[in-house]
Amino acid sequence: MQPDGTPPVLELKGFSYTYLEGTPRASEAVRDVSFRIHHGERVGIVGATQSGKSTVVDSFAHLLRLGQGQVFYEGEDVADPGYDRGRLRREIGIVFQQPDSQIIEDVVGADVAFGPTAAGLSAAETRERVEESLNTLGLPYQDYRLRYVHAVSGGQRRRVAIAGVLAMHTPVLVLDEPMAGLDPRGRKELLELLIKLQRDRELTLIVCSASLTDASLLCDRFIVLDRGTVVMDGPVREILGEADRLAELDITLPEPVVGAREMQKLFPDFPTDLLTEGELESELLERLGVTT
Amino acid sequence: MLELQRNVIFGQFVETGSVVHRMDARVKIAATFVLIVASFLIDDFLGFAVVLPLLVAIGVVSKIPPGYVLRGSQIFLAFLAFILAFQVLFYPADVPESSYLWRWGILSVSTEGLHTAGIIALRVILLYYVTTMLMLTTSLVDLTNGLELIFGPLQRLRIPVNELVLVFVIAIKFVPIFIEEMERLARAQTARGLPFDEGGAITRARRIGRLLVPIFISGFARADTLTIAMNTRSYRGGRHRTKLRQMRASPSDWLALALVIAWILVAWKV
Repeated sequence: MQPDGTPPVLELKGFSYTYLEGTPRASEAVRDVSFRIHHGERVGIVGATQSGKSTVVDSFAHLLRLGQGQVFYEGEDVADPGYDRGRLRREIGIVFQQPDSQIIEDVVGADVAFGPTAAGLSAAETRERVEESLNTLGLPYQDYRLRYVHAVSGGQRRRVAIAGVLAMHTPVLVLDEPMAGLDPRGRKELLELLIKLQRDRELTLIVCSASLTDASLLCDRFIVLDRGTVVMDGPVREILGEADRLAELDITLPEPVVGAREMQKLFPDFPTDLLTEGELESELLERLGVTT
Repeated sequence: MLELQRNVIFGQFVETGSVVHRMDARVKIAATFVLIVASFLIDDFLGFAVVLPLLVAIGVVSKIPPGYVLRGSQIFLAFLAFILAFQVLFYPADVPESSYLWRWGILSVSTEGLHTAGIIALRVILLYYVTTMLMLTTSLVDLTNGLELIFGPLQRLRIPVNELVLVFVIAIKFVPIFIEEMERLARAQTARGLPFDEGGAITRARRIGRLLVPIFISGFARADTLTIAMNTRSYRGGRHRTKLRQMRASPSDWLALALVIAWILVAWKV
């Protein structure tokens, strides 16, 4: 509960999940995961592969066989009998790691319109949202609305997938490895776009990644998973301050943090809670006694 | 939520470290072949009743939980029941009037129809069970090696055994991959408002139909990638390939095969 009495947007309470439970091929994905995410937060769920990130993401929209008392959306147990899962999925937009998996229609415009039409919006409102979403993602509506989804590039398909989720105007946006497969320019553009979107729409933004490179610029808080359990949870700088531990967990560190770790060979107390190259440079110059 | 992998066990390998798992793959394939032949030879309930303890013994020794096999066979059993209902209701042979238990127009239920459907059901279940157990207890590598060694002599007749076995094994290998892919697609599309965990059986089946196009596209892409990967690693058919693992059948493996053959002979002759 926040000081004003509003419940967290998302809350996991002792969430455990085993795929194919009760069969010889059962595999435990997460164990006793607990955290709260409040409205407007920008949270990074980070961890190496097989750490349980995607399972946690799937639990948000009740895409697993959930038991009661583990996953809550705005204070309500999503596994309660009679809980409106349709509404939950209209409010939590998820962009999956592989964009192809969530593209339903063959044509770009029709695919982006899928969510709004499923929610029962009028044709005019749907068209407005499709146009707005495609334009926002740098895919001009007039040029792209009639293109075949499988004929556009991988990076553009990812944008189509994101546009499809944006068009639903969900208050919560979850992105699973949003930068995977994008070139440096595409990553930079997407990063700027997400920051703008979060600010303009006051979204609750959740980003899953095995790399802190982009997530550190996008998020205010990190929840670190390792082999299915939460091992660290705190503000970004606090987490980056424990760079050695993050490296041990096979998490890719941002460039400034990698540089700071190198500097620790010269200055053992060199801080690693740095977000930008500029911060690294300033810290180094200060250590060297150079004034600018 | 949709968890297809729970309901389909075809093509899966489950390692339990049992005696059956450790048996030579060639012996297991031969025993499976004997049981498949038996399913065609045996034509009365008593014969199948004699085979039953053997099948139960294989299940127990393999340590594969029977609940897992049963749950994973639900779709198959439902399909079989559907087919058999037609077999009974439209039984075509001449049936004496006294054998009819129920009749309505062209539909009927007769003792002959029930008997024939029962034998067909047992045959199909035996076929399904033995092939499923072979796959559940034999890794794909062993299955491939075993099949290549068994059919190897046919290469002298210029039959491309290695290539045919490879095609067969890849086909089996793709079943669980497709199921996993289908699950992933279903989850992603559910998140976008096309729920696969709501509605009746027909609604769900229609929604699964929507996944066929993306599944085919990804299937072709996978096959293409696999072909390129094999070519870049110098694959040129199996004839000149050496084997990493040499297969050796122990006396107990041969004994098990002899036991299966003897058991089947008894079941056939009773």
